[in-house]
Amino acid sequence: MRLETKKEGGVFIIRSLESRMDAKVAVDFRAEIARHIDDGNKHIVFNVGGINFIDSSGLGAIVSCLKHVGREGELVIAEADETVLSMFKLTRMDRVFRIYETEREAIQAMST
Amino acid sequence: MESKKITFSIDSNLRDVALIGLSINKICSQIPLSDVEVYQIEACVVEAINNTIEHAYKNSSGNPVEVKLNLGIDRITFEVCDIGIRMMASHTPSLDFDPDDLENLPEGGMGLFIIQQVMDQVDYTSGNGQNILKMTKIFTNKP
Repeated sequence: MRLETKKEGGVFIIRSLESRMDAKVAVDFRAEIARHIDDGNKHIVFNVGGINFIDSSGLGAIVSCLKHVGREGELVIAEADETVLSMFKLTRMDRVFRIYETEREAIQAMST
Repeated sequence: MESKKITFSIDSNLRDVALIGLSINKICSQIPLSDVEVYQIEACVVEAINNTIEHAYKNSSGNPVEVKLNLGIDRITFEVCDIGIRMMASHTPSLDFDPDDLENLPEGGMGLFIIQQVMDQVDYTSGNGQNILKMTKIFTNKP
């Protein structure tokens, strides 16, 4: 899965360059993010603004990354559009992840 | 009005699932449903196909997956067909978890729950070597 990453202060920001986060890419996503977490990046903003389709495999991969971050870190979601957000709500994952309207808001919340 | 029918056929390869998903999204965008409903219908069909590939065919490619779409005056029906291992009969899928219990958050098992939540009717039948998951969404009298 093609991802763009950057670091701002202590916050690691991930942006997907793929528009679909489905079963085809979920395994690769999980492995790629696990590598970044193992490198010490435990405060993560996942900007899903470029994603227009996510299925349960994609959601499961994000949950897996959240578990990998553990309680000493954090993984939050930013810029989910209405349709992607509906999938978080449908699976009740909106109760698990902090979801921010913008990447900037997410970074600020994690930096304070 | 006669119903409109189309059948999609792919190999049992996760790489090809998006082809059907995108096609169904385009067809559903022509009927009176919101963007979110269209998206969720696409998600249901994708989840059903993923289940077929992962469970009926144990992730092996080279097997047929068919999706028969039937668009009527007040409903759209999808039949996801395979000739693999039949799904075990189970109770209605649930998704109960404690959002604060990090270690036990679900990473899978959400597909059938999504289908049950979004679709108005869901039936699974097996016979004559074929398994069919039939999903219906009714769209009359939508606000």
